[in-house]
Amino acid sequence: METIKLARARTLAGLAAMLLGSVAWSGAALAQAVSNPTAGAATANANTAAATADVNADAAAANAAGRGQNSNSSAAASRAPTDPGVRGGDPGAGGALPGLNDVERQYFDVAKEVFQEVDAAADGLGPTFNLDSCSGCHSQPTIGGTSPATNPQVAVATLMGAKNVVPSFITANGPIREARFVRNRDGSPDGGVHGLFVITGRSDAPGCNIAQPNFAAELARNNVVFRIPTPLFGLGLVENISDGALEASLAANAQQKRALGISGRFNRNGNDGTIARFGWKAQNKSLLLFSGEAYNVEMGITNELFQNERNSDPACQFKVTPNDSTPLVSENTASPSASFQNDIDLFAAFMRFSAPPTPASVTDTPVAQATGASNATAGQTTGTGTGASTASTPASTASGATSTASSPTPTVVASATADVSSVMATAAGSSTAQPSSSASSGASVTRGNQVFSNVGCQACHTKTFTTEKSPLTGQSNVTIQPLSDFALHEMGAGLADGVSQGTANGNEFRTAPLWGVGQRIFFLHDGRTKDLHEAIQQHASRGSEANAVINNYNLLSRDDKQALINYLRSL
Amino acid sequence: MRVWLYLGIAVCLAGIGAVLHGAMPSSRDARIVQSENPEDGKVTGGVFVSDYFNLSYRLSDELTEGLAGPPPSQSGYYVLGTWTPKRDFAGTVLVVAQDMFFAPDASDDVKNVVAEFRQVMSAVDGMTIDREPVPVSVGGHPGYRIDFSGVGLFRSTFVIEIRCHVVTFNLTSRDTVSLASLARSLDKLESVRKGEMSDPAPECLRDYASENVVRRVEPEDVGAKAVSIPVRMIVATDGSVKHVHVIRASAAQRRNIEEAVRQWKFKPYVKQGHPVEVETGVMFNLKPTNM
Repeated sequence: METIKLARARTLAGLAAMLLGSVAWSGAALAQAVSNPTAGAATANANTAAATADVNADAAAANAAGRGQNSNSSAAASRAPTDPGVRGGDPGAGGALPGLNDVERQYFDVAKEVFQEVDAAADGLGPTFNLDSCSGCHSQPTIGGTSPATNPQVAVATLMGAKNVVPSFITANGPIREARFVRNRDGSPDGGVHGLFVITGRSDAPGCNIAQPNFAAELARNNVVFRIPTPLFGLGLVENISDGALEASLAANAQQKRALGISGRFNRNGNDGTIARFGWKAQNKSLLLFSGEAYNVEMGITNELFQNERNSDPACQFKVTPNDSTPLVSENTASPSASFQNDIDLFAAFMRFSAPPTPASVTDTPVAQATGASNATAGQTTGTGTGASTASTPASTASGATSTASSPTPTVVASATADVSSVMATAAGSSTAQPSSSASSGASVTRGNQVFSNVGCQACHTKTFTTEKSPLTGQSNVTIQPLSDFALHEMGAGLADGVSQGTANGNEFRTAPLWGVGQRIFFLHDGRTKDLHEAIQQHASRGSEANAVINNYNLLSRDDKQALINYLRSL
Repeated sequence: MRVWLYLGIAVCLAGIGAVLHGAMPSSRDARIVQSENPEDGKVTGGVFVSDYFNLSYRLSDELTEGLAGPPPSQSGYYVLGTWTPKRDFAGTVLVVAQDMFFAPDASDDVKNVVAEFRQVMSAVDGMTIDREPVPVSVGGHPGYRIDFSGVGLFRSTFVIEIRCHVVTFNLTSRDTVSLASLARSLDKLESVRKGEMSDPAPECLRDYASENVVRRVEPEDVGAKAVSIPVRMIVATDGSVKHVHVIRASAAQRRNIEEAVRQWKFKPYVKQGHPVEVETGVMFNLKPTNM
C-alpha cells in the first residue's frame, strides 16, 4: 500500500486527522469560537452572552461563589464542584473488540494502521482540508478518540511551505475544530464545512493558488460555528443496535421524561427511514458513510461514496478522482482481507472493530476500594456500578470483558481496568478537590451514579443497550453502556448552531454518548469548555429540553454535584 | 358656529378612541379572549395565565419565571412553564402537558399515567416513594398526587386531565418544608374565566377525523424528508374547521397544512340532541417532494 509506506516514512504522526466528520457545531459560535477553552468557561460573544444570561440564578450563583468550598448549608448547594480533570488509567479503548478471532484482529490492525496514515497532495489531500490524517484529530486518550491537548492544526497550517493563516479560533492548547458558516452571503442557509486550510504553497502542490476562506470576515459577521471530533470507540456496537431497540429506549420511561420536560426524536435517513445515529446531529446513517464524508470534507480526499472534489480547480488536483478507490490488485497487507479494501472501508472497519471505552473500577464495598488502590489485574471484570454482570470467562483481558462466541446471554463488554482513585487525577491547571482516599473516591463515584439517575441525566444519556446478532465473532447480543439514546433533543439557544442536517434543526443535537467522557479534554459540540460542571450548566438555556434536569442539578448539595462530576470522570 | 366645530371634533375623537379601545382591549378584556393553542400561556405580573387550559396561577413570592422550555414536540408534548427560585428558596415548579391525541403510549387516563410514573420512579436507584398516588383536586380538576425523593431532592407530581391533555405539575425542593409550600401554592390555581360567560370547551374526540370527514383536501408535500406532523383542530358545530393548530412543522409545511385543513368539512357532532364543537387530532405523514 503506497499510502502506508508514505505514512511510515513520515514523522508527523501527531498531526493528521480528520473524521471531524461527525461534527456539527454550535451556533453560539462566533464568540464561543473565539474563546479559548483552555481558559475555562467560554468567554462571551454576542450569542454566548445572551445564552449565558438565560442560565438561571442558581447557576449564576454557583459560578459566582467560586470553587473548592465545602459546606452542608443551603447556600453551599449552589457552589460549583471541582472537575478533577482527565482521569488516569487505561482507557480500555483503542484496541480491537475483545473476542474477535485472529482474522478479524488482523483486519483491525491493518485498518488502524491506515487510520493513522498522513496524507499528502499526491494522495489527494485538499485542495481544502482541516488536517492530514484521521488519527490526528481522533487521538485522545488514544487512537480513535477525540481532540488531544495539543492542537495539531496549528502545525499543519504551515507544513511543507504552506502559508495558511491560523484562524483565531484555532489555538495551540484549544480543541481541534472544523468551521461551518451558518449562512451564505445572500442570506440562504449554508451549514457546510469550510476547510480551514489550503494546499497552496506546499511543496507537494506546485501551481495550486486557491485562497483560504476569510474566516476573520465571517467571524465578524457572527457566521461561524464549530464542531470538534467525536470519539469513535465502540461504534460498531452502536451500529449494531436495532432501530427497534432505540425506539423502545426512547419510549421507555416516557412518564419520567415528561416530568422533566424531555421528549426527543430520531434523525431518520431520508432514503429508507431508518435511524441515523452518528455525528453530533446523528446526521450520518452508517460508519461507512461517516468515513466517506469525513475523508472528503475534513481531508479533501474524494472516495467511492463522495466522488467529487469540493473545489475542482484543476491546478490543485494531484491525483485522479476519486482519490481513494478500491484496489483491484492485492496491496499485500498483513491482512489478506484488507488488501483489497479502499481506505474508507478500512476506516469504517477500524471503528466497527474497536472496543468501547472502559470505565474506572467502581465497587461498593469498602474492602474492594481499599484494596483496589493498585491497578485492577488483568482479567478482572468488575461491574460498572450500573448493575453490569461480570464477564463469564476467566480469559477476560485487561482491555475489557470478553464475550464468548456462542453465549446465549448478553455479554457485558464495558468493564473495569482503571482504579477509581485515578478519577481524582489532577487536571492540568485545576485545583484538586483532594478527596484523596480511594475508598472515599469509590463512594463518591457510586453516589454520583445514583445522582446521575435521580436528577434525570439518564433520561437521555441512556445507560444500556443490547446489540443484535453480528457477523463478527463474539459480538452478538452484547450489552453495552454508551450513555446515549442516540436521539435528537432541543438544546436551546445556548447550544444552538443554526445548522440543519437531515431532520435535525439548528437547535437539536444528538445526545452525546458519555462512555469515555472521563478521559476527554474538551466538551460539547464546539469544545467550548474543559470543565464538566460548566458543560452541565451549558445544557440549560432558553428552549432546552434539559432545563428541568439542570434545575435539579442546581438544587443538589455541593457534595452530590461533586459526586456526579466524579462519576462522570470515572467513565 | 365655533362651538359646533369643537363639539364635532370632540365627537370624532371620542369615536376614534372607542375604535382604538375596541382594537386594543384592556388587559381584563384580553383575559376573556380565549387563546387557541396550549403553548400560549405566559406569566404577566406574576400570574401565569393559560387561556387554552383555562388556568390561572399566581406565582409565590419566592419564585420567578425560569427559562422557557423547548417548542412543542412531534408527539404533542409541551413545557407550559418553569418557575425557579428568586434567591434562597430551594424549590422549582415545572408544568408540562401531553396531548392525548398524539401520546406515543397510552396516556389516556391520569390514573394509568400516575401508576406508570410510580413504577418508573420506584425503579430508579436510590429513589423512595414517599407518598403513594392519591386522588387530589387541582384547580377544580381531579387527578393524582405522588411524592418521591432521592439524593436530597424531594418531589411531588400532580397529574390532572384538562381539555384533551394530561397536565402535570412537577414540584422539586431541597427540603420537605419548601415542598409543602410549593404544594400549597397549587391551591392558587383557578379558572381564567371564573364567573364570566364563555363558550364551553370543545368535546375531545381522539379519532373523530377517521370516520367523520365528508370533504378532505390533502396538503402538498413540503421538504426533502419524510416527516410526521401532528395537527390539532377544532370542528365547529356546522362541521367546518374552526381552528387549525399545526403543532410542530416548518413554516412551509405549516402553511400548506393549514390551507388544506381549513377546507375540510366534517359531519357535525351531536351530543344529547345538540350540536357541539369537537377538538380532535390528525397526524399527517408528508412524503419528500424529491421522490
